[in-house]
Amino acid sequence: MATEKKLTGGSLLFNVLEQHGVEHVFGYPGGAIMPIYDALYDSNVEHFLCRHEQGAAFSAVGYARASGKVGVCFATSGPGATNLITGLADALADSIPVVAITGQVATSAMGSDAFQEIDIFGLSLACTKHSFQVTDINDLAKVLHQAFAIALEGRQGPVLVDIPKDVQLAEVNGCLDELVSLKNKVKLPPANVGSAIALLNQAKQPVLYVGGGVGMANAVDELREFASITGVPSVSTLKGLGAIDPEDENYLGMLGMHGTKAANLAVQQCDLLIAVGARFDDRVTGKLNEFAPNAKVIHFDIDTAEINKRRVADAAILGDLKVNLPALAIPLSIATWQGKCQQMKVDFAWDYNHPGESIFAPAVLKEVSDKMPKNTCVTTDVGQHQMWAAQHMLFDDPSNFLTSGGMGTMGFGVPAAVGAQVSRPTDCIVAVSGDGSFMMNVQELSTIKRFQLPVKIVLIDNAKLGMVRQWQDLFFNGRLSETDLADNPDFVMLANAFDIKAKLISKKSEVSDAIEDMMNHDGPYLLQVKINAQDNVWPLVPPNTANDKMMEST
Amino acid sequence: MNNYQLMIKADDKQVVLERILQVARYRGFLISGIHAQVNTGTNIGTIELLVRSERPIELLVDQINKLIDIKEVKVDNSAPQQCIA
Repeated sequence: MATEKKLTGGSLLFNVLEQHGVEHVFGYPGGAIMPIYDALYDSNVEHFLCRHEQGAAFSAVGYARASGKVGVCFATSGPGATNLITGLADALADSIPVVAITGQVATSAMGSDAFQEIDIFGLSLACTKHSFQVTDINDLAKVLHQAFAIALEGRQGPVLVDIPKDVQLAEVNGCLDELVSLKNKVKLPPANVGSAIALLNQAKQPVLYVGGGVGMANAVDELREFASITGVPSVSTLKGLGAIDPEDENYLGMLGMHGTKAANLAVQQCDLLIAVGARFDDRVTGKLNEFAPNAKVIHFDIDTAEINKRRVADAAILGDLKVNLPALAIPLSIATWQGKCQQMKVDFAWDYNHPGESIFAPAVLKEVSDKMPKNTCVTTDVGQHQMWAAQHMLFDDPSNFLTSGGMGTMGFGVPAAVGAQVSRPTDCIVAVSGDGSFMMNVQELSTIKRFQLPVKIVLIDNAKLGMVRQWQDLFFNGRLSETDLADNPDFVMLANAFDIKAKLISKKSEVSDAIEDMMNHDGPYLLQVKINAQDNVWPLVPPNTANDKMMEST
Repeated sequence: MNNYQLMIKADDKQVVLERILQVARYRGFLISGIHAQVNTGTNIGTIELLVRSERPIELLVDQINKLIDIKEVKVDNSAPQQCIA
């Protein structure tokens, strides 16, 4: 359907965004993207000014993960574009649909080392699912449609569209093409259901290994139905948390380096591992050739390249989980194994008894989890607090736990919470951060202030880069190198400078009231929780070690 | 170290060759030789890529196949295992 009205490239961009249902974008203006920001002035898209392009990228990631929609971010050329890269890499590692729009110097100046010129198209190759550079205004609409289709289809991921300034200014007929769907260029082989069912029927000790792909495929209901019908005990990756009901009697928690003892022991003892939207990541497997050593493997995935990448599958089920999981949901006779797993869950349950008056972070996070309203979305940064959140907070849907899994990016938590809050304005959003991570994108407190986003920040503060300190203590003979953050700013004063209410607690007796105050506060809030600098995350599977040889304390 | 020859067909789109080379390097395959040409009638590029690695070639084939502009990737087992000029 064509209209005769002439549009600039900038205006056309917003028309296409609106055609794709985009209501919110995150970004930061600059010289080479000014025509787009000029067109924004007349559009219905709401723009959230972040205070750093990395913040904009992470906000787009948080928005996408919390809502299931495509996250969109803008940046100008040169440093604006390079500042997006960490966020795009994060989105690629965790398969998050993001469309990034970058301004570029005019086509006549490209390749001349012009002011704020960088080859972001070249830089994007390693950190996006796909990328485009539009040098002809007549290609712009088609490219933008392709960008959205590529971001969403198959294994989701980030797409960058680089638009030179003259293309943004050029005029074109406002031709709004029909939305297109990419055809699967690689035809997937028929799912190997027969051999997988045979493996299921033979199994006496199966385990369901649930990854982030379940949430991405919107297949939580199908997974829970599969778990219910088969009765297979389940474990989850960091990104899979929330896919299985955490109250399910057969659910054993997170597996891997900081997984629960029950989850890791069950996997090590199982005779069939059913991997669903998971990729045998090194933080999950520990020493790969000793991971689930007695198990046959059924591997469900949308991405052909994940099959046999790190662990050979005895049966590969490629394609849509919503279709394939029900095809294998058959009742199994595994009561003895279920009982053994449930007993391990009881035997190795978390112990929240912690001597002394200093605050025990796992207990704090459990209490936050217990007190947060239904449909609360939790974001984290990266480090000890992230693992404690994964271990001790309960999530009833993958879209309610946003963490940087594959890339492990410090600085993710606060801007991701901004994006989550924008996408879900009536839900409670809690950002769990650490004092190291928090400082990496602290400027986004200004975004919280500007838009009065009622994000609750729980800042676990040990005045250390805690996880690195823990590893230096355990594996580098206690030679602490550049992990002391005793010169952190006054976080309460810092939050107050952004008009954010804040409180510092350092004793157990203060915890409950402080959490109540935070949750009952209408606006944004920062709760700084001082903990003992020597507290470690347990259990811990040391590097290149089998998962049943975990350390539980020193 | 094993040598492999890949026969790749791709749409003649921006930086498709760079994408293939980047994936090959990142996934642990050293490039011994390359020959690429485009059929201007069909806009289909044909790339012959000679690589060497300790890793199984299926790993690289699967990853190149994921690139958006790729139409086909085949391992040519009949080709002589030498560098293509």
